[in-house]
Amino acid sequence: MNPPAAPFNIVSFLFAQTWSWWAAGIGIGLTALGLAWFTGRKLGVTGGFEDACSLATKDPSFSASPDRWKLWFILGLPLGGLLANLGHWGWTFLYGRLDGLLFGSLILKALWLLAAGFLIGFGARWAGGCPSSNTILGISLGSKMSILATLGFLAAGMIVTNFLFKVF
Amino acid sequence: MVRKTAAPNSPWSFLAFGVLFGYFLSKSRATDYDTIVDMFRWREFHLYGVIGTAVAVVALGLFIFRKKGLPARSGQPLDLSPIPWDPSRLYGAFLLGVGWALSGTCPGTSLTQLGEGKVVALFTVLGILAGVWAFKKIGPKLPNKEDVC
Repeated sequence: MNPPAAPFNIVSFLFAQTWSWWAAGIGIGLTALGLAWFTGRKLGVTGGFEDACSLATKDPSFSASPDRWKLWFILGLPLGGLLANLGHWGWTFLYGRLDGLLFGSLILKALWLLAAGFLIGFGARWAGGCPSSNTILGISLGSKMSILATLGFLAAGMIVTNFLFKVF
Repeated sequence: MVRKTAAPNSPWSFLAFGVLFGYFLSKSRATDYDTIVDMFRWREFHLYGVIGTAVAVVALGLFIFRKKGLPARSGQPLDLSPIPWDPSRLYGAFLLGVGWALSGTCPGTSLTQLGEGKVVALFTVLGILAGVWAFKKIGPKLPNKEDVC
């Protein structure tokens, strides 16, 4: 949220601030469209993790993306996160309200995120795609499966967050 | 299984689109734990607006691409195949939803968080790698046809 009185500062806008929902949404949408238009590929992230598994284990049962393009794609993601926050960048071990929930313990947080990550990776492969490929691209394609999967993500997320933050 | 492509795409173009995607994900606050929790708890419209806008932009663009039968700029075919229908994928979607809610992140945003300097995202990324690996090992025993993503 920008304070209303502050004058517009392009450097801060590009390299520090977060954006309004419509501006960020248009950016994400145009990125997915640009990827399709320039390279013919469908937006997707979890396949890049599978590329990494395939590269690391040399196990042929992992299906690599053509040219391992998804690995290249996901290598760009941290750079994008860096660029968006270049103006006020710094390391942090903090993680929002999760810190309060886990008594500020770094070890608990590490274990918590490892377990959550496992569910994400396992679930994304089982669901046939993560929120990038199912929600952003799949729904845009009008895919029935992607709409169902997205409803599944949201339903599970709503149950879990409401339980966590109402009970604890 | 590596599928063949018609003409070579430069790896750098994929990297560049990855940078753009990470940049806009970060700008959208989808990398922020509290924002994700507020989305799931209906406390804030923001991320629904982000996702809705993105879907609208992509749907409109793909509609035009399809209508005009456009190939990709470099002449490669445009891959617009939907993920095949299989209701058992809903189990996977539930697991992902639980993980998304616990960690406040999905595969794309976990890597973006690393670039933002959120050190603990490293654990989420390692967890996702383990999950993807495990699905390949035990996935074939589950009620699911094929992986697509």
